[in-house]
Amino acid sequence: MDFIIGHYNYWLVIIIMMAGFYTVISQGNLVKKIAGLNIFQVSVFMLYISIGNVKDGAAPIIEQGVELYSNPLPHVLILTAIVVGVATTALGLALVVRIKEAYGSIEEDDIHNQDHSL
Amino acid sequence: MKHNLILRVLSKFLIPLIFLFALYVQFHGDFGPGGGFQAGVIFSAGIILYALVFGTDNARQVIPPKVLRALASLGVLIYACTGVASLLRGGEYLNYSVLGANQIAGQHLGILVIELGVGMTVMSVMLIIFFAFADRARPEQEVE
Repeated sequence: MDFIIGHYNYWLVIIIMMAGFYTVISQGNLVKKIAGLNIFQVSVFMLYISIGNVKDGAAPIIEQGVELYSNPLPHVLILTAIVVGVATTALGLALVVRIKEAYGSIEEDDIHNQDHSL
Repeated sequence: MKHNLILRVLSKFLIPLIFLFALYVQFHGDFGPGGGFQAGVIFSAGIILYALVFGTDNARQVIPPKVLRALASLGVLIYACTGVASLLRGGEYLNYSVLGANQIAGQHLGILVIELGVGMTVMSVMLIIFFAFADRARPEQEVE
């Protein structure tokens, strides 16, 4: 039981990741799919940041008397990942805008019906 | 959005505070959590709030797209020039230690200038993306 509670960050990550994944596969609306992808992304961010945390560690800023600090490397990686996430979201939304202009709809079923692809 | 008095008054009150907080995050970044990425996003959020409440045309008068494009590239230029400046002063590329009179002053100056460039670029790129999407919606509304 302690094992399960002690690793609560992983459970949280799994729940958020599956919520995002479910949104991606269940929603027909393309904007909602992108929102789901973003939720998925946040779970990965949380996974990295939580495993970078050191127990009783301070913020990784040089200061007198601070010896133990959290690992700053995952934070920097995730800072980059957040920026990349913004860029991919913008690209995805731009594609949605183009699809809306071409098909007049952002519902996946409508688009498939127009293309007779399903 | 002409009749939403509460929104207009409240956003007039909030926008300066958002800008102030963005500047705090920007320039406090070398002492505590913060930095150019966060500050740029907060700053652009203030302008996006203005654009949402008062219309994108007014927002474009505050910051014309030409200025935004110039700012976006100027930020990258500042970043690169800081690296070249440290090269010229005898260090490695982006070695801040050689920029000031001593190592600590140089590090402070270097990260301040770098973060300023990052903040400018992030702020203007976020606004460019926002305006690109906002403009896209307009021709369609005219058709409908």
